[in-house]
Amino acid sequence: MPDMSRYYDLSVSQIREGLASGQFSACELTAAALERVDAEDQKIHAFLQVTPDLAMDAAREVDQRIAQGAFDAMGPLAGVPVAFKDNMNLTGTRTTCASRMLETYVSPYTATCVDKVLQAGGIPLGKLNMDEFAFGSTTESSAFGPTCNPWDLTRVPGGSSGGSAAAVAAGLATVTLGSDTGGSIRQPANFCGVVGVKPTYGTVSRYGVVAFGSSLDQVGPFARSVKDAALAMNALIGRDPKDCTSQDIATDFVAAAQQDVAGMRIGLVPEFMNAPGLSSQVKDRILEAAAKLEAMGAQIVEVTLPNAAASISSYYVLGPCEAFSNLARFDSVRYGYCDPGHRDLQGQYDASREIGFGKEARRRMLLGSYLLASGVYDKYYYPAQKVRTLITQDYARAYESCDVILMPASPRPAFKFGEIADPAEMYLSDVFTVSINIAGNGGMSVPVGLCPQTGMPIGAQLVCPQFKDENMFRAAAALERAFGPAGVAPDFAGRAGE
Amino acid sequence: MKKLTQQDVRGLASYARIGLSDEELPQMTEDLNNIIATLEPILEYNLEGVEPTFHPIGSLSNVMREDVEVPGLTQEQALSNAPAAQDGSFLIPSILGEGGDR
Repeated sequence: MPDMSRYYDLSVSQIREGLASGQFSACELTAAALERVDAEDQKIHAFLQVTPDLAMDAAREVDQRIAQGAFDAMGPLAGVPVAFKDNMNLTGTRTTCASRMLETYVSPYTATCVDKVLQAGGIPLGKLNMDEFAFGSTTESSAFGPTCNPWDLTRVPGGSSGGSAAAVAAGLATVTLGSDTGGSIRQPANFCGVVGVKPTYGTVSRYGVVAFGSSLDQVGPFARSVKDAALAMNALIGRDPKDCTSQDIATDFVAAAQQDVAGMRIGLVPEFMNAPGLSSQVKDRILEAAAKLEAMGAQIVEVTLPNAAASISSYYVLGPCEAFSNLARFDSVRYGYCDPGHRDLQGQYDASREIGFGKEARRRMLLGSYLLASGVYDKYYYPAQKVRTLITQDYARAYESCDVILMPASPRPAFKFGEIADPAEMYLSDVFTVSINIAGNGGMSVPVGLCPQTGMPIGAQLVCPQFKDENMFRAAAALERAFGPAGVAPDFAGRAGE
Repeated sequence: MKKLTQQDVRGLASYARIGLSDEELPQMTEDLNNIIATLEPILEYNLEGVEPTFHPIGSLSNVMREDVEVPGLTQEQALSNAPAAQDGSFLIPSILGEGGDR
């Protein structure tokens, strides 16, 4: 057996080369990946479930194809260790959404995004931790305990896709999938120093991903390089008859990431750059990123989003209303937790949903229940949809003078566990991400260096017009050339056993 | 803006079919009032003549497919996660008579 102790650092392309040249087999690589999850995940708790049988079956199939001389025909993720956020169905696995409500739920079908990754040859290592039903920014609301940030175990990994970001940052998987309703891919990617992509709404099918806010949710990849994320995107995109909002898209993201930024117009938003609460360390990094893009031939322009200040309030009306409606399906009858011994249905509903849902999930549903009540609906929900129009128009106007917007992903780098206790204050940490979901644009976070005070990674967020996601990949690749690729978090980057 | 009372929050919980303990009620009421206070900017906008956006893909409406039979879950699969099932159906407590739904 070859020395597999550094395999976890490999890029998607390096894995492909290694397999094609016979340096290692898919089974050897997968066994090493499973061993590493077994040894290292106890430090960060990124995984809720490991699927060794599925992984080894998939690996054997890759090796078989190699033996048949058919490897070239395999998809872009052939032999690549992957894992999925635990709100994505995969037949035969538990899909818990990190909730007691679904603790024993076993998927009878597979989500389209998961299927596409598997069809592309991905090796499924398991399912990843998250905030319960994706309600949160830290993974602290997971019913099964939080995930720790691989860069500093006393800090949160971000959320809600915290397990997906942490697994990639710790070198436990090469590519993972997450979902993003208000920042749940970009913020944890930022906190964990990896690349995280929330594509334009409609780019990736939502079929089989447990719904939170159906007009806001979008699935996307995490990876340690822009090219790896691009390869994953190429596998994920496309129209799915099972999701009527999914669009027929055939962008080659790898090709987009190979273009330079000469002549590209990069927008900076003064409302965001001067936002109260934006830490100087983050602001400095974003300005440095702008300077580097300019030095590579891009043009920096100022664009304004006058209604951006209303994004948070609009989001925290729309999100809970859509969640309230979506989570009505957990009725203790068809699936999910059922509190035993009730003689009437109402009592069974109330008790099952009280015990099955955690505090934040219940808080959001009660908020949705309030906002959709008669008399209140006209005051908040309908106006929030109108504010949504204003924010969308702001972005459309901004994109008349730029190809991509550069902004922070979060006001400050990863914070410590328990540091933000008030939910209203926590919601404000989404200030730079939610407007992108509201407008349905694409956005991604790319690492642009470390915080000089804490040593924690800082990401820059790139945002693009609807269905122009290639623009942000082009700029992201340039930033990666300037700042270096993400890499595995230092404490996880040693040789195995060190 | 009038603040929610604990009684209001009880009503919301009942409507949402979520039990809420007496111990949890005060904190939940305070949390909801704090969150609702942050939604105020919505009330301050002049939105006259602005059309609402319900969905980010503006051009999309009524996506239809051919009305043809396609494979779905079997009855066994559909019931596989049911807390209680009987004779191929989901089983629930009585909804009529004693303790019924209102």
